[in-house]
Amino acid sequence: MDTKINGLTKIKNKLLQDTNISILLFIFIITVITLGGILGNRFFSVGNMQSMGYQISEFGFLAIAMSLAMITGGIDLSIVANAGLSGIIAALTMSGAFFPIEGMSEMTVIVISIISAVTCSTLCGLLNGFLIGKISIPPILATLGTMILYTGIGMAITNGESVRVGISSFSKLGSKTFMEIPYIFLLMVLAFIVVGFILEKTKFGREIYMVGENKVALEFSGVNAEKVIMKTYALIGFLVGISAIIIVSRVNSARMGFGDTYQLQAILVAVLGGIDPDGGKGKIMGVALSIVVIQFLQSAFTILQFTPYAKKLIWGILLLLVMTINYLINEKKIFNLKK
Amino acid sequence: MNKILNRKIKPMEKYLMLILVVYIGIVSMTSKNFLTMNTLIDLLKSSSGTLILAAGVLVVLISGGIDVSFTAVAVVAAYCSIRISMMLGIDNLFFIMLVSIILGGIMGAINAIIIQTLKISTFITTLGTSSIFYGFMTTFVGTESISVADKPSALLAFGSARVFNIPTFFILAVLILILTWFILYKTMLGRTIFAIGNSEESASRVGINVFKTKLFVYTYMGVLSGIMGVVYFSEIDLINPISLVGTELMIIAAVVIGGIRLTGGDGTILGAILGVSIIQIFKSTLVFLGLSTSWNDLFIGLILIISVSIISYGERKSNKEKLIFTK
Repeated sequence: MDTKINGLTKIKNKLLQDTNISILLFIFIITVITLGGILGNRFFSVGNMQSMGYQISEFGFLAIAMSLAMITGGIDLSIVANAGLSGIIAALTMSGAFFPIEGMSEMTVIVISIISAVTCSTLCGLLNGFLIGKISIPPILATLGTMILYTGIGMAITNGESVRVGISSFSKLGSKTFMEIPYIFLLMVLAFIVVGFILEKTKFGREIYMVGENKVALEFSGVNAEKVIMKTYALIGFLVGISAIIIVSRVNSARMGFGDTYQLQAILVAVLGGIDPDGGKGKIMGVALSIVVIQFLQSAFTILQFTPYAKKLIWGILLLLVMTINYLINEKKIFNLKK
Repeated sequence: MNKILNRKIKPMEKYLMLILVVYIGIVSMTSKNFLTMNTLIDLLKSSSGTLILAAGVLVVLISGGIDVSFTAVAVVAAYCSIRISMMLGIDNLFFIMLVSIILGGIMGAINAIIIQTLKISTFITTLGTSSIFYGFMTTFVGTESISVADKPSALLAFGSARVFNIPTFFILAVLILILTWFILYKTMLGRTIFAIGNSEESASRVGINVFKTKLFVYTYMGVLSGIMGVVYFSEIDLINPISLVGTELMIIAAVVIGGIRLTGGDGTILGAILGVSIIQIFKSTLVFLGLSTSWNDLFIGLILIISVSIISYGERKSNKEKLIFTK
C-alpha cells in the first residue's frame, strides 16, 4: 500500500516538474482517443501507421534542426531552402551531371551522392553559423538572406525545373521496411536519441543551452560562444541534409520549393514541444512528442479531406494557443515564487 | 542631395546608389529597350505596391519588431472589401478603399494586442496570425477569383488612371512615403517609435506608453496593407486571392537591404526606397541581360547578405572597441 502511494507521488512529482511534457502527454492522449472515436480503424490501421511513419521521418529531421536553432535563441528560416538545394545536388550527382557515372556500381554512385548532399547542406549550415556567430547578424535576418541565396542557387542551376533520379535502387532505399517499420523512421528515432544525448549529457550540449540563455555570461566564463554557434548551425545543416536525401528518395526527384509548408510546421512543432523561442529552454523529448501529435492530426485532416487552407488555419490557431498556454504557465510560476 | 535630405547620406545608401547606377548603365548599354518611357512607367507602376508595404515594414522594423503577416492582411482586407462591395452593389473606389483600410487596421491592431499581452516574439506571433487571417478568409469567404468582366468598374478605372502620364498608384505611394517620413521624423509619435526600437525598457521608464506606440505601429502596417491590397487587385486583371501571399520575406529583404540597423531603432526612408528599387529593377531587367528570372533570387540573396554583413560587422567592431556586450 505504502509503495503504491510512493509510486503515485513520484509520478505526480515528475509530472509537476515538467509541466510542458505533461501537458503534451495530456494533449496526445486526448488526440488519440478523439481520433479513435471519430475515425476508428480507418486511422489505426497498419497501412496508415506506415504511411505516417514515412511522412514523419523527412519532417522529423527538419523539426530537430529548427529546435536546435531555437534553443540557441535563434531561428533558421533557411532549412527548407537548404534541403531543396542539397536534394538537387544529390539528384544531379545521380543523374551524372557533375561527372560520368557509367561504369560505376549503383551503390558507389548512391554513396557519393549522399556524401555530396550532406557536405553541401553542412557547408550551408556552417555559412549560417559564420554569419550569425562571426559577423553578428541577427539569426532571423542572416537566415532570411541565406534562404533567398540557397533558393537562388538551386533555381539558377536547375532553371526551376525538377531533376529526376535515374537510379531505381535509390528510391527503394526510402521505402524499405524492417518488420513493417520503415528504416527511415528508425533513422529518425536514432537522430532523436543522439541529439537528445548531445544536449543532455555532453559539454557541447550544455554550451548550446547556455548560448541561448546568456551568451555574454558564457563568453565571460571562458567558452568561445561564437564557435558553439557555428558548430550548432553546422549540425543543423547536417540534419537538414539527411532530410533532403530522404525527401529525394521518397519523391524520386528534386526541385526547389518542395516542402514549403514545412517551415511553419517546424516552428509550430518546436514551440508546441516546449522549446522557448527566446532560447535556453526546452527538451528534445518534448519535440518528439509534439511531432507525433502534429502528424496524427495531419493524417486525420487528410482522411477527413480538409483543404490545405483549413489546415493552415488550424496550425495558426494551434501555434498561438500553445504560446498562450506557455505564457499563462510561466506567469503562474512567477506568481508562486513571489509568494 | 545632402541639402534636400537635411542630413548626410549614409555609406550604405551610397553603395546602393552606386550599384543601381552601375547596373542601370550595364543594362541600358546591352539593351536599347530599357531606357524608354514605357519601361520606366511600367516599373513605377509595378513597384508602387511594394513601396507602400515597404513604408509599413520600415516602421515595424524601426520599432524593433518584424511583421510577416502583411501580405495576408493585404489580400484578406482587399478581397473581403471587394466581395462586400459587389454584394452591396456599391461600385465606388473610396468605399472599397475605406472598408479595406478598416479591415486591415483591425487585423494590425489584433497583432499588436497579441504581441503586447503575450509578450511573445513578433515573428512567431505574426506567423501565427497570418495563417489565421488567411486561413479564415479562404475557409469562410472562399478563394474564387474574380474575372475582369465581374470586377467593379471603379477598380478598372483606378488601374488605368494616370495624372500627367504618371500612374496614380505611384503618386499614392509617394504620398504614403511622405506621410511615413513625416510621422517618423517630425512627430512625437515618431520619436517614441525610435525609442522603443532602441530599448523598450528605457522607453517605458521615461514614461513612453509602449503599448500605445506598438498599437500604432502594427495598425499603421495593417492600414497600409489594406491600401496596398486594393492597389494590387486594381493593377492585375484577374483578382486571385491566392496570389501575393508568400512574397512577404522578399519585401522585408528589400527594406533590410536599404541599411536598417537590424536590432531596431534606426532606418531611413531613402534606404528603404533604394532597397525596393534594386529588387524591382532586378526582377524586371534580368531578361534584358539574357538571364532567366531564376537568377533573381541568387543576386538578391547575395546583395542582402553582403549589405547586412557590412552593417553588422561594423556594429560588432565598434561594440568590441567600446566594450559593449550585447546578447
